[in-house]
Amino acid sequence: MWRFFRSELLKLRKSPIWLLVFVSPALSTIFGLGMRIAPEMEEMAWGMTYTMMAAPHGLLFLPLLTGVLSAFVCRYEHVGGGWKQMLALPVSRGTVYVVKFVWVIGLLLLTQCLLLAGLLAVGTVKGYSAAVPWDILVSSLVGGWVACMPLAALQLAVSVAWSSFAAPMAVSAIFTLPNILLVNSEKYGPWYPWAQPMIAMLSGAQQAEPGVLGVPPETLFIVILGSFIAFFLSGFVYFQRKMI
Amino acid sequence: MSEAVIETNQLTKKLGNKMAVDRLDLRIGQGEIYGFLGPNGAGKTTTIRMLLGLIRPTRGTVRIFGRDLQKDRLSVLRRVGSLVEYPSYYGHLTAYENLEAVRCILDVPRSRIDEVLSVVRLTKEAKRPVKGFSLGMKQRLGIATALLGSPELLILDEPTNGLDPSGILEMRELIKSMPKQLGMTVLVSSHLLSEVEQMATQVGIIAQGKLIFQDSIEALRQHSGSRIRISVDQGEAAWKMLLASGIQAEWELTDANRLLLPHESDEQLARLVKLLVHNDISVYRVEEEKRSLEDMFLELTGGGDSL
Repeated sequence: MWRFFRSELLKLRKSPIWLLVFVSPALSTIFGLGMRIAPEMEEMAWGMTYTMMAAPHGLLFLPLLTGVLSAFVCRYEHVGGGWKQMLALPVSRGTVYVVKFVWVIGLLLLTQCLLLAGLLAVGTVKGYSAAVPWDILVSSLVGGWVACMPLAALQLAVSVAWSSFAAPMAVSAIFTLPNILLVNSEKYGPWYPWAQPMIAMLSGAQQAEPGVLGVPPETLFIVILGSFIAFFLSGFVYFQRKMI
Repeated sequence: MSEAVIETNQLTKKLGNKMAVDRLDLRIGQGEIYGFLGPNGAGKTTTIRMLLGLIRPTRGTVRIFGRDLQKDRLSVLRRVGSLVEYPSYYGHLTAYENLEAVRCILDVPRSRIDEVLSVVRLTKEAKRPVKGFSLGMKQRLGIATALLGSPELLILDEPTNGLDPSGILEMRELIKSMPKQLGMTVLVSSHLLSEVEQMATQVGIIAQGKLIFQDSIEALRQHSGSRIRISVDQGEAAWKMLLASGIQAEWELTDANRLLLPHESDEQLARLVKLLVHNDISVYRVEEEKRSLEDMFLELTGGGDSL
């Protein structure tokens, strides 16, 4: 497993995948810098800046990035005929699939860390006097990351199945764009997997309300875990049987 | 025959409604160079993909090194090197990095990379990104990758496809040297009889998914009924002389000074040439008249339904 992980690192090290990781945190940081906070709101500056930065990130960029990264970790195999070489090596298909998935979520975690770094940078530049609310920030960012896992699982399955780079992108866009409408819907939002990163990232920051949009956290947990298991297992089983 | 390295039992793959591979019983002995011959679309690549576990057989079993491939896939593949169809590569990486990516998985010493690069003579190009390589160089890199794990069995699917004549020659010499130097067994597929003939010790012919011939290269030559053509200055005298030593030669229709002999062993042919020369007959040419693969397929498949 570890040996295969290193082999993947070698392939991805010299690829533009690392730039993708910076895009959303950089944009969000610009939003954060552009925000004005009235002096009387100074106490809540961190939370407000975080909400400002996390909203576009969680709503669009993070789900889309999940699609891009999943397609990217499969791209070199599709382009260079690497699947048949790789799978004729003494490495199990299960290992290949799990390692690819770990790379996707690893890079997503890196993105979340960069977003946090961007937020801290904004706060430092603007000289926020309030203490950094670490517990809320970390739990929201980790929550958003966990909420991406079902999406990553589905996108990886699609990326493995289709050799085109554009097809998984289209799938990602088709499912992500309805977020703009659904995330405000009390009825459907909590049940839509693509809305989960946004909900998870913002729920902690708006602690005043219990749950999100009146939905208890248990529901969200079930949606995330349930869709993750369904998507991951179908992709995993499909890859085991795929003809190379 | 020596111990079997590859043995398939009624190996079958159905793709849609078509029997891509139909009840194949391959047997490849230790240290052999097995030429796997057949026209395009006959099922060669499908068979090779099954031998490597890339696709699952519809029916039948594959045993490699005496082990069931389904059950012991990883330990079997550790001892197999392969190159399937066009070469696989990561274009944005250098040749060295491509090999390193595979080396990580195989867990062999780093020095193997330099060794295999020198075997395929890519040492000088090792630091260049592979996307700038010619097809021949990519093919050689593919061979290097296949050799990286010091395999006991090398499976090469159409390794000379797209190579120029010097590349083909080089590849052939490389393949021929493997069993001698390293004790490897080699399975090499091709759609060219001439190519297989020049390197294989065993031949299997597949047409429409069925194995229609499997034996030594010598047996194939006998079977194919290739003939020897001798051009001389005195056709009639030579014909009589051959007849006197028990060889029924035929006249070639267009030229009475050309004789056609049935296929002879090397020693017998040498004796006949000596006989002619000693009797002051000038021998201009001694050539083998080969029949094309198509002819042979027609014969082996009983005519009509071949190719």
